[in-house]
Amino acid sequence: MKNLDELKIMREKVKRDLQLRAGEHRVKVVVGMGSCGIAAGARDTMNEFLELIEKNKKTDVIVTASGCFGFCAQEPMIHVYVEDKKPVTYRNVDKEAAQEIFNNHILNNKIVEKYLFSKGKK
Amino acid sequence: MKNLADHLFDIFENSVNANADMVMIKISFLEGVFYCSITDNGVGITGEEVLDPFVTSRKTRRVGLGLPLLKKAAEDTGGYLKIRRVNRSGGTNLEFEMNMSHIDAKPFGNLPQTFADIYSAWPDIDLKLYVIKKNKQKKVLDFHEMRGEETLGLSDFIASRRRILNIMQKEVEALNIY
Repeated sequence: MKNLDELKIMREKVKRDLQLRAGEHRVKVVVGMGSCGIAAGARDTMNEFLELIEKNKKTDVIVTASGCFGFCAQEPMIHVYVEDKKPVTYRNVDKEAAQEIFNNHILNNKIVEKYLFSKGKK
Repeated sequence: MKNLADHLFDIFENSVNANADMVMIKISFLEGVFYCSITDNGVGITGEEVLDPFVTSRKTRRVGLGLPLLKKAAEDTGGYLKIRRVNRSGGTNLEFEMNMSHIDAKPFGNLPQTFADIYSAWPDIDLKLYVIKKNKQKKVLDFHEMRGEETLGLSDFIASRRRILNIMQKEVEALNIY
């Protein structure tokens, strides 16, 4: 049997963990998973983000998929939604780009111009 | 699409787009022929227009290539692809066969990873995967059950992904999928 303090710590940990899969989160990354995205390697991009989240234990970041964004030649594309900020769209997001975007934009709120597609539009 | 694993992921996305929340996949691999049947409870199609690359319902671009590409890939190996509406209220069933020993066959790719990726990309969709062997089918994956066992935490989610990879790795080996 665990004592009360240990249980409290556990509860806090689970609460933090919960945020990844349940509604609450600070950042949402949406990866374009149309045929074009998949052919361009969007699955690798998604997995890179998942790995980065796992490695950094960033439970307030979630990754989801959507269909084609309409600019197939520039896939893999992602939208990054940071709480209370306008969405940012990136293009040609390979593994390397994913790392840069994660480290700069998601962790430090700095937009990565190199892969920027548009700002503020959905 | 470089391989079958990509195609599978792609046609799964069609079901998601058709508002399905349940998808049943059956696969078998016998004497070099890969068979796959995918049934969803989405809105359903009205005809075979989905096989025409220049017809699409989406507004973001004017062509829809996912299904025509898979059809071509299947037919290139002497296989087929069929798609039909399940019943009046909707649902779609898609079946294809590919002769993997044919010289024009695409490689399998990483099938276990495809299922782990589906699990990650669409957390609301229940997938059931059956493997058919000697006229018997065995349920291999049930995302609904797996999610029920998760307490929704990050570590549980990662564990589920690993479990899917492990289960599928064994199935793929048992089927002699290379």
